[in-house]
Amino acid sequence: MITGNLRLVVIIFILFLFLLIVYLLRKRKLSTKYAIVWFLAIIVMLLTVLLPDVMKYIANLIGFELLSNMLLCIFIAILLFITLALTIMVSSNKRKITLLIEEISILKKELEDKK
Amino acid sequence: MKKSKILLIIPAYNEEANILKTCKRIIEYNKEHKTTYDFIVINDGSTDNTSQILEENKLPHINLIHNLGIGGAVQTGYKYALKYDYDFAIQFDGDGQHDVNYVEKLIKPIINGEADFTIGSRFIENISGFKTSFMRRVGIKIITFFIKIACGFKLKDTTSGFRAASKNIIKEFANYYPSEYPEPISTVLVVKKGYRVKEIGVNMYERDGGSSSIHSWKNFYYMINVCLSILIAGSRRSK
Repeated sequence: MITGNLRLVVIIFILFLFLLIVYLLRKRKLSTKYAIVWFLAIIVMLLTVLLPDVMKYIANLIGFELLSNMLLCIFIAILLFITLALTIMVSSNKRKITLLIEEISILKKELEDKK
Repeated sequence: MKKSKILLIIPAYNEEANILKTCKRIIEYNKEHKTTYDFIVINDGSTDNTSQILEENKLPHINLIHNLGIGGAVQTGYKYALKYDYDFAIQFDGDGQHDVNYVEKLIKPIINGEADFTIGSRFIENISGFKTSFMRRVGIKIITFFIKIACGFKLKDTTSGFRAASKNIIKEFANYYPSEYPEPISTVLVVKKGYRVKEIGVNMYERDGGSSSIHSWKNFYYMINVCLSILIAGSRRSK
């Protein structure tokens, strides 16, 4: 179970992650739309550290024998969703860049024709 | 009746060996047959001398500011065709595979109102006597089968890049043209939208220069990807 020092380390880590995300948001390096999923991850971590008994109860209810197994599953799921969100963004950006290159290249030709 | 405007879209990536010959054939054809085919070369970010050759010979061209692949190059051509109000657009490879003598045959069904989109085929009427390897034939058969499932159209020459489009199709492709496996996918999309597609027998030359890069394991991966993309394109709700 999470006890003593480990608990403190995890809390510090969560705090650091939270501040980092807020910092990135303020600096406009991360858009709010995609920050939500990270805050969700932070909330899950926080719940685990602060209310281990409740989380253990939920884990048993679902059918996990160990709390750590449930946590691993939750985080793998969250990471999968984040990766999926990223590949969606990359695909849509690729589409937009393609359109930009096409339009700019046509405009460039027309501009050079006029000279 | 107003004379229809015809544009040949020629995508070219590192085609310094063939591009001049390809364009000259079209210019000569125009002189001999009193036709007025316009053409535009889409230089897809070539790293060889393609750009200089186009510049020196004053051939109409668009230099893409970055390499996009065949899909993006062809879509640029369709956008250009739409912008300058062309009635017909023909995709024509820059590597000397396609024969300009068959452009007329290709657009005839569109002019006559029998089709909206025509595809030049090596496997109909067997004009070119094209010989392909056994594995390649099997691959094409499989793609044919998947296209048939996806949209009900039996396309024999699935990878043909010699195709003619009506004004409506120009509009569609200027708006959206698939960037991955564009030839089979665009055909499925067009059929799904209810346009009439026709396959026409044409002559094709063997590739002059350059090699078609084929590795067997890569081909396997390619086949799975193409078939999956076709099914997904086919599963889109038709308008």
